[in-house]
Amino acid sequence: MNRLLSKDFLSGVMFIAFGLVTLYFGRNLAVGTPVRMGPGYVPNMLSYILLVLGLIIAGFALLKGGEPVEAPQLRPIVMVTIGIIAFGLLFETTGMLPALVALVLLSSLGGTEFKLMEVLGNIVVLAILCIIVFKVGLGMNITVLNGVW
Amino acid sequence: MAMLDHLALGFSVAFSLQNLLYAFIGCMVGTLIGVLPGIGPVATIAMLLPITFHLPPTAALIMLAGIYYGAAYGGSTTSILVNLPGESSSVVTCIDGYQMARNGRAGAALSISALGSFFAGTVGTIIIVLFAEPLTLMAQKFGPSDYCSLMALGLVAAVVLASGSVVKAIAMVFLGLLFGLVGTDVNTGAQRFTFDIPELSDGIDFAPIAMGLFGIAEIVVNLERRMTRSGAIKVSSLWPTREEIRQAIPAAIRGTGLGSILGVLPGGGPTLAAFSSYTLEKKISRNPGKFGKGAVEGVAAPESANNAAAQTSFIPMLTLGIPSNAVMALMVGAMIIQGIQPGPEVMTKKPDLFWGMIASMWIGNLMLVIINLPMIGMWVKLLTVPYRFLAPAILLFCSIGAYSLANSTFHVYQVAIFGVMGYIFSRLGCEGAPFLLGLVLGPQMEEYFRRAMLLSRGDPSVFIQRPISLGLLIATAILLLLMALPSIKRAREEAFQEEEG
Repeated sequence: MNRLLSKDFLSGVMFIAFGLVTLYFGRNLAVGTPVRMGPGYVPNMLSYILLVLGLIIAGFALLKGGEPVEAPQLRPIVMVTIGIIAFGLLFETTGMLPALVALVLLSSLGGTEFKLMEVLGNIVVLAILCIIVFKVGLGMNITVLNGVW
Repeated sequence: MAMLDHLALGFSVAFSLQNLLYAFIGCMVGTLIGVLPGIGPVATIAMLLPITFHLPPTAALIMLAGIYYGAAYGGSTTSILVNLPGESSSVVTCIDGYQMARNGRAGAALSISALGSFFAGTVGTIIIVLFAEPLTLMAQKFGPSDYCSLMALGLVAAVVLASGSVVKAIAMVFLGLLFGLVGTDVNTGAQRFTFDIPELSDGIDFAPIAMGLFGIAEIVVNLERRMTRSGAIKVSSLWPTREEIRQAIPAAIRGTGLGSILGVLPGGGPTLAAFSSYTLEKKISRNPGKFGKGAVEGVAAPESANNAAAQTSFIPMLTLGIPSNAVMALMVGAMIIQGIQPGPEVMTKKPDLFWGMIASMWIGNLMLVIINLPMIGMWVKLLTVPYRFLAPAILLFCSIGAYSLANSTFHVYQVAIFGVMGYIFSRLGCEGAPFLLGLVLGPQMEEYFRRAMLLSRGDPSVFIQRPISLGLLIATAILLLLMALPSIKRAREEAFQEEEG
């Protein structure tokens, strides 16, 4: 079981997965001949190489074992990802300010320490900074708050 | 005296007000991130790529270059004053620099490292001027098969010199090459791996990938650990004693020499140069026992070496279009965003950009001495800003930057996706740098491969029939074989263990 959770075995599996995915989605691309290569020639070749390398990495890891993968802490990566996606969604619909508040709040929740007053202060400072730098300074076409500015 | 003409052209470009300003901004930002632990030059350049999009090409590249060598300068400050390396290239400086500071010689250590770096930067710039033209002329004789082999050599060498497992790094290169193929096939117009998303038909944009893989993933990994900061040592006089100068000068010269060589090698760069030169100093010293207790050589040599290497690593990128490390891959990306295809044509077709950038590197080095020495107190204060304030700010700038690429949130979501991917890579011990090199070189490599095969009527032996290509492939094979030898494998592992520790 430990061998299955080693960094090497899992990365081997990841490479195999990528190779299979690209082979699957590249199946309709014409391969052509070595003289007149079609759009699928090189992707196919690379996918097969990736598959072989993945098998080698995973195989060696099974035989020899390897460094176990550290248990991931889910909170930082999940909060940061949600924060960025929320930023994207809010930016389009409501403007930069709500998006900024959401991103800073969510990503701060991903850290080890969270003090509400600090985060609020950070939001105010960053909001002023962003408006000065991006809206006024660089003159970018950004809606700060939809319908207002 | 064509060389002097080139330099004159370079300085006339670099001394324009706009370019001076961007060199200064680059140096300031570079110093800033060099001082702040937990955010490196790769992540910063990745995050600033969208901004350079709106600048003229020369100014953009001058600024990015300034960030790169500025980070090498700034990283040494924190190493010496708080025993915290701001950059991986300054890790060794901690050993003796911090001890010097504890002995009351903080100011001397800072001056030696800054002046040593300036000397190394000057030499590095001269080396670029000397080698740029011959290398470019050589590269212009290359056919498609030669180029393909050269890229293979560049990719393999970069992998061999990177830390970690070689097979995994090679697999990452191939993964990067595959990602580089997304988009419209140039020869047939067929859509490859675009999933009917119109934004993908021009290929996956380079900037969001780099931002996600390096920027976001780095922040998340930093958020997982608690960061503690210790108080900084007060700086007294900046002047080194005569005895210290006497020890520093030969060490700085040796460090510069070694760093210049290691910088040119694919996969080399500041970090490798700093470690090697420290080891060299320790080996040739008559008194190795003083290393670790505040040896002047232990500061002068690695600090000169990392800066020399930061300069000379531009050589393969500028002349051949082959990036030797992740930062250079980002520079190539920045050039492509600006519509410039890196390679030997840059020097002949855009001499103002080429020589202007080289001249600006020397100016930037001069600026850095000024930025770093008198303003040292300001930089130290920055160290007290906690990471929990920085992380959201960096994420925010990333997201706005990604949006500004095409005024669309598509890129923002891309950053999020590649952030998750980068996090998985780092958890599995797969390095992002080989992936980035593959991604940058992928489209060109396919192009050269297909052209070479077309010219040879489908005969793959063209790669071993042309002498240049054959030589490059033999060098590639030797490198790979060397890696498989047990003794070298062990030495390599030990070297990288020291680096991590």
